[in-house]
Amino acid sequence: MRALVIDDSRTMRRIVSRLLGSLGFETVEAADGREALDVLEGGTHIDLACIDWNMPVMNGLEFVTAVRNNRDWRDMTLMMVTTESEQSQIVRALAAGAHEYLIKPFTPDAVREKLQLLGLVELEESA
Amino acid sequence: MSMDIDIQAFAGADPILAIAEEVFTAMIDGEPGHVLPALSAPELGDPMHAWVDVQGTTSGRVLLSTERATADDLARALLGMEPDEEVSTEDFVDALGEVANVVGGNVKALVPDPGVLTLPQVTQERPPTQDGSQIYELNLDWRGRAVVISLWKLP
Repeated sequence: MRALVIDDSRTMRRIVSRLLGSLGFETVEAADGREALDVLEGGTHIDLACIDWNMPVMNGLEFVTAVRNNRDWRDMTLMMVTTESEQSQIVRALAAGAHEYLIKPFTPDAVREKLQLLGLVELEESA
Repeated sequence: MSMDIDIQAFAGADPILAIAEEVFTAMIDGEPGHVLPALSAPELGDPMHAWVDVQGTTSGRVLLSTERATADDLARALLGMEPDEEVSTEDFVDALGEVANVVGGNVKALVPDPGVLTLPQVTQERPPTQDGSQIYELNLDWRGRAVVISLWKLP
């Protein structure tokens, strides 16, 4: 599985990439939506995109909209990872085509649970 | 956005402190209990300031202030670096800005009719503010280091 981590903060990109790496993902990073589209247009197959909302050049919502308008990328799972926590913003992102929404700050367990819900990480067996 | 956050409306719980505790627990420490309210306002030597603005019908600023050495330690914690590992300027600026961004985003969620959150800025100089425009200040002790979160009304 390959994930695209899109955030203008390199700190947050490293945190998310480290977490995803521990869950078995190979990761690619982009600093904004435009850079992320460049990765996709370059032909790199991406299974999961973790997308910040507030970024320069192209924000996360614009990226989600662009991805959803391209049939070649319809199988990609889109998860917003953002500080935007108002209900109206969550509704906007989901309406635009995001599959899941994770609010910063998040714990490693929260990331794992979201990815389990999305079927991208196996459920842990109970002891 | 109205920055008139009614702290008293949270039944004795300070929502800004709750946000700070959540941010430090989840992002920085990995466990609760390392950030506490401080009893007095600190003198910050070699200060660093990180802030985001919320721009709406009225606008406000969420400002996080600390010392450079503390900013380095925050960056090490966020980035999983060793305690004595050197922190680049790019790393501590980005890390401190991201902490301010996450705190600011969660403060934004507290206010009615919020506007747009700006990208974080980090400087040594305290950003200019008008007299009387501060509406809140929270002094924190993080592992014996001072961190201050303040909220400001903007013109």
